[in-house]
Amino acid sequence: MSADIWKWHWWSGGLWPYLAVIIFGFLPSEIWRLMSIFLVRGIDEKSEVLEWVRAVSTALLAAVVANIVVAPAGALQLVPLWARVGAMVLGFAAYFVLRKSVLAGVFTGVGAVIAAAIWLPVAR
Amino acid sequence: MRTALHGPMYFLGLTFVGIGGLAQQADMPLGVVLLTTVLIWAGPAQVIFIGSIINGLSLPAIALSISLSSVRLLPMCVSLLPWLRGQKPSMLLTVFSTHQIAVTAWVESIRRLPDMPASERLAWFMGFTQTLFVGALAATGVGYLLAGALPKELAAGLLFVTPVYFTLALFRNARDAIDWSALALGFVLAPVSRSFLSPGFDLLFVGLIGGTTAWVIKRTLRRRASKSGGVVP
Repeated sequence: MSADIWKWHWWSGGLWPYLAVIIFGFLPSEIWRLMSIFLVRGIDEKSEVLEWVRAVSTALLAAVVANIVVAPAGALQLVPLWARVGAMVLGFAAYFVLRKSVLAGVFTGVGAVIAAAIWLPVAR
Repeated sequence: MRTALHGPMYFLGLTFVGIGGLAQQADMPLGVVLLTTVLIWAGPAQVIFIGSIINGLSLPAIALSISLSSVRLLPMCVSLLPWLRGQKPSMLLTVFSTHQIAVTAWVESIRRLPDMPASERLAWFMGFTQTLFVGALAATGVGYLLAGALPKELAAGLLFVTPVYFTLALFRNARDAIDWSALALGFVLAPVSRSFLSPGFDLLFVGLIGGTTAWVIKRTLRRRASKSGGVVP
């Protein structure tokens, strides 16, 4: 029972859920933003370190995206892996064909996923 | 603000419609999910928070996985902050501006800020991110109220907005060897590392290894170019 106090349903009445968002959602993510303020002191905008940090960010974001495509959560699981990758490729194609338009690329990729979810859903 | 009203606003809005819908599924009060948008302000972390509540995880476990997924905010803020302090902003304003940094704000700002006069950067950044904020809040509410009415095929499409937009924006931003190699390494290493590292740590591993390798590649190319007297890449 005592372990139960850490479950959401104990917190879900009145003002508790708002407090839960602050303690268990806001603080654990905000701490990284705050830490950056102290780390960035004395770093010049043209410095070599900053170039490295930017490369780390880029690789991290690429990994976040790759993980969503390879192992998605929720409704995206309705679409088979090859179709998710295929939709990404189509998005890319539209982006390049339509003079590097991100908007065209996004709509093509998303359209392809919706089409795959309708006509090629994963058998459950 | 005008920048925000083009693509980024729509993509972010569609993502937050998805988040609002997820929260409704979790039986979360509307005010609570709006608070996650204001305070957490990071799509992937909000999806983890709400998704874990649906799956019945304990709150400390949720806090840990949120913190792991948000480590990426550290390099993102460190690389962006130096561009925002031209006017020597106060500590409070600095804290406020770091809170605005999330993927969409980062991917658009890191591209535009360097080309702007130093005195205009912070004002542009604030206008841009505040517009995104208002749009995301409205979208969260719309998603919450529409949930249930949304066919699952469309929900799948909404969840695909984030990966395809981020990918294209990162490619559009890439200018030289370091960007291209960091991107390519991130995509290639992610599926490999997730097979042997626990969630959260796999991203850190890819970021550090991929980013450092990309940086080394660039340095090597530059040294070679300067030796042969060629053009710096």
